[in-house]
Order: sequence, then C-alpha cells, then structure tokens
Amino acid sequence: MNLPKIASISRKILVACVGLFLLVFLLVHMGINLCLLRPDDGEWYSIACNFMGTNYIIKVFEVVLFAALIAHIIITVALQIQNWKARPVRYHQPSKSKTSAMSKTMIWTGGLVFVFLALHFVNFYFVKLGLVEGKYMIQTEHALSSSELQAKYMAYTQGKLSPEEMATFQTEMEAVQGLMIKAESEGLYSDDMKWIRNLSAEDVKPVEGIVEGIEPDFYNMAFELFGNKVYSVIYLILFVALAFHLIHAMQSAFQTLGLNHNKYNKFIEGFSWVYAIIIALGFAAVPVYIMFFV
Amino acid sequence: MNFTLKIWRQENAKAKGRFETYKVENISSDCSFLEMLDILNESLISNKIAHPVCFDNDCREGICGMCGLYINGRPHGNDDGVTTCQLHMRKFKDGETIWIEPWRAKAFPVIRDLVVDRTAYDKIIQAGGYVSVSTGGVPDANSILVSKDKADKAMDAAECIGCGACVAACKNASAMLFVSAKVSHLALLPQGKVEAANRVQKMVEKMDELGFGNCTNTYACEAECPKLIKRSNIARLNREWICARVGKEK
Ligand code: HEM
Ligand code: SF4
Ligand code: FES
Repeated sequence: MNLPKIASISRKILVACVGLFLLVFLLVHMGINLCLLRPDDGEWYSIACNFMGTNYIIKVFEVVLFAALIAHIIITVALQIQNWKARPVRYHQPSKSKTSAMSKTMIWTGGLVFVFLALHFVNFYFVKLGLVEGKYMIQTEHALSSSELQAKYMAYTQGKLSPEEMATFQTEMEAVQGLMIKAESEGLYSDDMKWIRNLSAEDVKPVEGIVEGIEPDFYNMAFELFGNKVYSVIYLILFVALAFHLIHAMQSAFQTLGLNHNKYNKFIEGFSWVYAIIIALGFAAVPVYIMFFV
Repeated sequence: MNFTLKIWRQENAKAKGRFETYKVENISSDCSFLEMLDILNESLISNKIAHPVCFDNDCREGICGMCGLYINGRPHGNDDGVTTCQLHMRKFKDGETIWIEPWRAKAFPVIRDLVVDRTAYDKIIQAGGYVSVSTGGVPDANSILVSKDKADKAMDAAECIGCGACVAACKNASAMLFVSAKVSHLALLPQGKVEAANRVQKMVEKMDELGFGNCTNTYACEAECPKLIKRSNIARLNREWICARVGKEK
C-alpha cells in the first residue's frame, strides 16, 4: 500500500484526529453497556439501544464512525508497512533502548482490537443488519397497533374484506396472537408489559411484515453470549489488548498534534492511562458480571 | 579487561555481511570504545589476521557526530548522553561478549563493515536547514532581542550533532528527532523564523522522500540521543508543520 500524496506528518495528524474521535465513541459505547448492569430487566439499556438504533443524528455518526475506523486501519497499516521497509536489514541484537511496551506493539494490539471488532460485529452488529440471527424484541403497542393491521381490522369490522383478504388477515391475527400467547406463557413481557423480549428468530418469523418495530434484543443476546465462559474469556483478553492500545494511543495523539508541554506532560500521560483503564474495565464489567454474578 | 567481540564485517555495500568473532585482551578500563577498536585493529594488522575493522570517527570528543555504533542493542552503547567515542570500557563487564553492528536503516546503507552512508542527513539539511541571508559584518549585540527561554531551547536543539543514533534506535528508522532539532533551533530564533514555514515543509518532504520511517512516538530516539535532544522538539516540528500547512498559499 502506498499513500505518497500525503506527507508523513499529515498522515499522522489524520490518524490522531480519527483516533481521538474513536476514543470518544468508546466512552459513549461504554456508558450504554453499563446501563445493562442496572437491575431493571434491561429497561435503561433498551432505551439506550433504541435511541442509538433510531436517532437520525446517530445514524449519520454511524457512517462517520465506520469511515473513521476504516481510515484508521488503512492509514496505520500503510504507515506500519512503510516503517518495516525503512529498516530492510534488522539488527542481530534485540533493542535495549528505553521505550514503553505499549508504544512498540501498536500494530499487534491494534490487530487484536480488529479481531475483537470482527467478533463483536458477528455477535451483535450483524444481527442488526440482518446478516446473523440473534434475539429480538418488540414494543407491545407496536405488536398490536401496527397501522396496517389497524386498517385491516377496521375494514374487517366493516365487512369490506374480500374472502382472500379475510383469509390472510386471519392467519396474520393468529400469528400475532400466537406470539402474545407465547409471551404470556413464557414470561417474555417486561417493563410493565411495554416490551416482549427474548424472542428467537423462529418466534418473530411468522409476524415479520405484520407487526412493526422488531428490534434486536441486545440485552438478552449479551446474557446468552457471556453465559458462555469461552466467549467471556476471549472478550476479556481482547479488552486487555484494547487497554494496551489506548494507553499509548491517547498520549501519542496529543504529541502528534503538537500538544507537548513540560507542565502538562505528566498529566497527559496519567490521563491516557486512566482513560484507557476506565474504558477497558467498563467494557469488561459486563462479561465479568454475567460470568460471576448471574 | 578482556572482551569477546562479535563484529559485523561486510566488504562493500553489495557484499553479504556476517559477524566475526575477535578477542581483545588487557584493555584498560579507561580506554574509550574506539581506542579499544584501535587496539583490535593494530593486532589484526600486525598479526596479519584480517583487514582492519572499518568504523567512522573524527573528533573523538563527542562533537562531530561521525562515530556511531550499535553496541549490544543500543546506539552508542550502554550509557546515557554519550557518543561512542566517549563510551568507556569500564561500562562493560570483564569477559563480556560485545555485539557491534552498524546503524541499520534503508536511508543509511552500509558502505563497509561498521561505516554507513549518512548523506541522507546532509540532503535534509540542504533542503532547508539553514538561514538564507548574506552574512555581513557582526551586527550589534542587542539589535535583535531574544528571550532567555527561547535562546535556551534553541541552543538545546542546536546541540544535535547529526550522528544518526535517533534513526538507529527507532523501530521505524524515523529521522523525526534529528529533523525536529534542526527545525526547532532555527524556528525559535528571529533570524530563522522568517523562513520557518517553507523550511519545515521542504525538510519533512525530503525526509519522507529519502525512505526514513514514520514517527510513532515511541521515544527510543530521546532515550539514545547522545545530546539529550527532547521529544518536545518533535511536538514543535508537528506544530510548525500544522501552521505551515494551514497557512499555505496555493
Ligand atoms: C476502537 C478502536 C481504536 C481506537 C480508539 C484507536 C485509537 C488510536 C489512537 C488515538 C492512536 C494514536 C494516533 C497517533 O498518535 O497519531 C492509534 C494508533 C494506532 N492504531 Fe489504533 N485505534 C483503534 C483501533 C485500531 C485497529 C483496529 C488497528 C488495526 C490495525 C489499529 C492500529 C493502530 C496503529 C498501528 C497505531 C500506531 C500508528 C501511529 O502511531 O502512527 N488501531 N490508535
Ligand atoms: S537528534 Fe540526537 S541522536 Fe539524533 S542525530 Fe541529533 S544528536 Fe544524534
Ligand atoms: S568521533 Fe566525533 S562525536 Fe564521536
């Protein structure tokens, strides 16, 4: 890969700006995750997910976020390849110069973060895109009052449905009723009956296209996923890599942007450590909680 | 003191090099590293064992920047703030095995044995590391005022002797510490400020062109610089770059 048009420092500055944006995003994401720990049967968490899934500003940011992530990966990998090429013959003796382990392993910790993201997308994000099956939830009022269903119901009561329409309407109503019965008998209602949750792909298939607002149920997906100890441990190991990446990342971005001052260097370094550790611990809290306390 | 030396030998730029093992005995602990190599070379010549080991040096007092060897995994060896010529054998353990390698960087190709070609640094300086005024008579001392703080920082940056240890130490073979020192010592002073924006762009572009790596802020350069040039200069270089680019006229 070659990006000769942009000078080295400009590329670094791009990486730093994009990296800082990603760092802020991680804080938001962590905040949402922590809602999951509230013993409210996922109420806050679902509100947060619902907001993230439907708000238009967030949707724009989602595109920006992906662009940022891809830009970050492409530029850093290209830089790294150039850096390897800048020393075609390696030293025989390993370097004993005083540097931090984090700063020397960015490409590897970054690679692990990438592995994590890939796994995380398959586990969660792809469900939202409909590429992978997960668990689903429906707002109860949507289940009953989809505008189409209401219109058909009106037509039905006024006897305006043709026999064929009648037949489909009946099967549709049966499907919705089936769902409600299942929800009732298996205790899938939550939050004052506002939501029907923890539905499998098979559960929602019959009502697809009939009821509105079928959303991925990340809350129950998280509980199912992290109930599996292997997944939890993999996630936790990858969070350690994330912490390593971020410990160097934040202070490095400051330096790259020229923000270096004797008076504040210690603070920037400390801030970088604290931020990285808070992010990693915040993310780790969910699998740890589910693994040990559920 | 006695040492076993593992020295990189390479006949010319094209040849395939290898490590050779030599023993040196009865070395005084006050000997400098280069004097120890002189003693080795004398014995190689007088005993007709091999062609003497080539290495760069000139002043032998830490000011010219010619000497520079990668010794046991550290540029200029296991001491802080010294050049190879100022490194003393008392810094080593008696009987120790010492690995001696040339600087390794694409931009610094090996010419022979431990000698590398550092023309790349000259090219970076030629690209803009100077003030283009005609020198006349010595101006009156106080005609241009410089604050003490800036003068100190400029002097600290100007200490860089262009030895190349920063490139040798950096895992990316990046020349940022060198370039930042050169950009800083001029940009901090009124005479250098005039051409600062142009200078930083020319020097960085040249640096990129010559095949040095990109800085990832690991600061191995700062740890190994014999003149203790600080990483704050790299941040200043970045600031100078940003200002120059933002203010650039099309
Ligand atoms: C959410 C995830 C990530 C965040 C928040 C993040 C953040 C950052 C930040 C702030 C920097 C410092 C930039 C600078 O000093 O200029 C950085 C550097 C780096 N990142 Fe990431 N990063 C993430 C994911 C990744 C991934 C997936 C890779 C995969 C290859 C990666 C590879 C690198 C590398 C190699 C560097 C060092 C480059 C340099 O210093 O020039 N990062 N990262
Ligand atoms: S910055 Fe230090 S290590 Fe780099 S060339 Fe100058 S004196 Fe040598
Ligand atoms: S020989 Fe001049 S600095 Fe070492």
